[in-house]
Amino acid sequence: MSGPLSNLRVLELADEKGQFCGKLMADLGADVIKVEPTGGEATRSVGPFLDDTPDPNRSLSFWHYNTSKRGVTLDLESDEGRGLFRRLASTADIVLETFAPGYLASLDLGHETLGAANRKLIMCSLTPFGQSGPWRDYQSSDLLHMAAGGQMASSGYDDSDVPDAPPIAPGGGNAWHTGAHYAYMAIMAALVHRTTAGEGQHIDVSIHDACALSTESAVASWIYRNEVVIRQTGRHHAANPTPRTQYPTKDGKYVNALTGGGRLDPAYVRTLAEWFDPHGLAGDLKDERYRDPEVIADNAQHIVEEVLANFIANRNADDVYHEAQERGFPWGAVRAPDELLSDGHLEDREFWTEVEHPELGRTYTYPGSGAIFNGSPWRIYRRAPLIGEHNEEIFGEELGLSPEKLARLSDGGVI
Amino acid sequence: MSLPRALQGTRVLDFTWVRAGPWATRWLGALGAEVIKVEWPENERGRQSGGNTTPRGHEQHFNTGGNFNDTNCNKLSVTLNVRSPRGKDLIRRLVSVSEAVIENFSSRVLRSWGLGYEELCALRPDIVYVSMSGFGHTGRHHHYKTFGPVAQAISGLTFLSGLPGKPPAGWGWSYLDDTGGLYGAMGVLTGIYHRNVTGEGQHIDLSQMIAGITLNGPAILDHTVNGRPSRREGFPPGNRTQWPGTPVLYNYRGPQAAPHNAYRTHPGGYNDWCVIACFSNGEWRRLVQLMGAPAWATVDEYADLAGRLRQQAQIDRAIEAWTSTQDKYALTRRCQKAGVRAMPVQSSEDRVEHDPQLRHRDMYLALEHPELGSKKLQNAPFKLSSTPAVNHRPGPLIGQHNRQVFEDILGLPHEDLVSGYEDGTFWPVNRPRYPYMTEMLK
Repeated sequence: MSGPLSNLRVLELADEKGQFCGKLMADLGADVIKVEPTGGEATRSVGPFLDDTPDPNRSLSFWHYNTSKRGVTLDLESDEGRGLFRRLASTADIVLETFAPGYLASLDLGHETLGAANRKLIMCSLTPFGQSGPWRDYQSSDLLHMAAGGQMASSGYDDSDVPDAPPIAPGGGNAWHTGAHYAYMAIMAALVHRTTAGEGQHIDVSIHDACALSTESAVASWIYRNEVVIRQTGRHHAANPTPRTQYPTKDGKYVNALTGGGRLDPAYVRTLAEWFDPHGLAGDLKDERYRDPEVIADNAQHIVEEVLANFIANRNADDVYHEAQERGFPWGAVRAPDELLSDGHLEDREFWTEVEHPELGRTYTYPGSGAIFNGSPWRIYRRAPLIGEHNEEIFGEELGLSPEKLARLSDGGVI
Repeated sequence: MSLPRALQGTRVLDFTWVRAGPWATRWLGALGAEVIKVEWPENERGRQSGGNTTPRGHEQHFNTGGNFNDTNCNKLSVTLNVRSPRGKDLIRRLVSVSEAVIENFSSRVLRSWGLGYEELCALRPDIVYVSMSGFGHTGRHHHYKTFGPVAQAISGLTFLSGLPGKPPAGWGWSYLDDTGGLYGAMGVLTGIYHRNVTGEGQHIDLSQMIAGITLNGPAILDHTVNGRPSRREGFPPGNRTQWPGTPVLYNYRGPQAAPHNAYRTHPGGYNDWCVIACFSNGEWRRLVQLMGAPAWATVDEYADLAGRLRQQAQIDRAIEAWTSTQDKYALTRRCQKAGVRAMPVQSSEDRVEHDPQLRHRDMYLALEHPELGSKKLQNAPFKLSSTPAVNHRPGPLIGQHNRQVFEDILGLPHEDLVSGYEDGTFWPVNRPRYPYMTEMLK
């Protein structure tokens, strides 16, 4: 079985802003050719590195975001480089680019030129603020997007945990992920349209717009009630303070245990009592008076903040998580990334993927795909390309350049 | 002349509710799909989710949720008791005329209604079926229940956000409902594209929690390749790339940089903050010039990243003394003009009312809602030159489109629609009807 995008060729001219979108297409089967500047893409200098040794071919960040792609190097500012890119673009379905607005057009490689030569071409420009507007030429970063997009205004601490805390930008580079998800969606929509209309088009995606969309009901709270939400530790922003949901465990971790929202009724308290009792931690929850919903409502603070918090404080996070779920409670352990490797559920779904790095003689474990496509797999096909790894294969074997010509282009700094 | 839309002629049968699923189908609707949302008032719990977003002066009921309006625009709504014999028959007929079915129930619900993938295929052989559950439909914990913050905790996302030595700050909303919704839409689009090319449908079994894990790639590889533990001193480093006084390591937000933090701005209100980040020595020198080259900033030690990383605490205090007298928007303009990376921390009010770029991009255009009046809806972050995504109808009233869907699409005689309201197929017999339902049955 081949992936759902296996009939497509993508040219990726992308740094941190677009490499994840390219990975999604490559892992779903598209032939994604990463076109890098001759020294390699700047994202190769982002760590962590293999054995903490900085090197363009040892960036683990680059490894993760560039799986299943092939890689060539090309100097787009040289005439010959542009000529080769145009030849490649005439064979492509999609060009994904993250340059500053107008840069490719200034090289005569914009959608107008490439699209005229290849009517089926879909060109997606994924940029910080879009192709026009007062902030078009502003510089950005993951942190800057998290500030302007509203992520930071919604994330942070209760005063009781960290007095006077700043807004906190969640880690992991999620501004880029959010932009990439929407870019992927737009590209797929253009592809579906192309299957009936036969023609490609240009797509202008703004990462700032994408981030500004991703804070659930914060925008609705303003539009419909003129309320601005406050930040709370490990749980939803809200117009007014809500009870905590994150409790420390015996092993120094945390459990997210939501008991609010009308959940606490006699059956719930009885389940808690039967669960806690064998550990000698049921407190007074077995008391018959908790058959009365009103008594529960009057004592909610005691039940949750004393008995339940004390139970969690005396147990390990993973035990609380699984025991709660087996009782139908949607609770979870706050797990660190390295604790996911031993999760049997992920093993059952064959999530972890062994990826071979032949030049190192090693195989490493990568996170796989978020969904199982039962008719056309989503999976990692190969490790990220080394710098210029497929120059010969693509320029030589596929475009038909002679070995002499390739050597000359290489000496001239074109590839 | 209006332009065509990418998913014109594509019908999506939408069983989703609350946030993640409806956020997916909202985008399919904006791209031109005909989305039919199937609801039943007796177990409905999505129309008032996301906190109270009913405007003051309106009674809270099915048709007055502001967040619902924004999350469910571009769809039709039908009400149908899918467990009744007539409801079962009608839902099967709707499947047979749809290209895609999407749901975000727990893993066994649709199967229990007799609508598992095999049964869907019997009705429509090339159906694209996207399920969006917390853990997926297979695996030993498929029955586990999640909502956004719990999926985030289990996936490792929560852990990566916060200050060292403090509890995880996590995400202040259901990031994995929003993102899960994007994966739902991406799944339907990918499935439809694949079907258009090959003629084959499929079941796409999405796990919201596992999709979250894939967003932690570099942190996971740092462990599987380098053996580095995730729980370590100085991690996570708050808004910085590195916590002062701890080993210099990459912390999965991108390149190392200093300064790289949030700073208070004038007049010191709850969201009066801006962020500034210098990714090179040149960017730092430009910031120093902009600050007026004060003596504290021109010391040799700060000329290089290593020195600035060492002295971040002092540098951050001094920068904040400079920012705290300035308005966050004016400061952003000054910095960006000088080639220094800066942005304001923006609340929802800031984004909707004060952000000139979002205004330029038409991100908040109003649409008339029958109960709520003219209200701004959030628009698409992508502009497709030939097939624009457009919010074309507000969130539907519950069961608003029963007549349109069952009579016009399925060809149900009008008297059958009327009798279906009497026998509880289209609305619970004992529940008061909305005026538009009575109108529909005339």
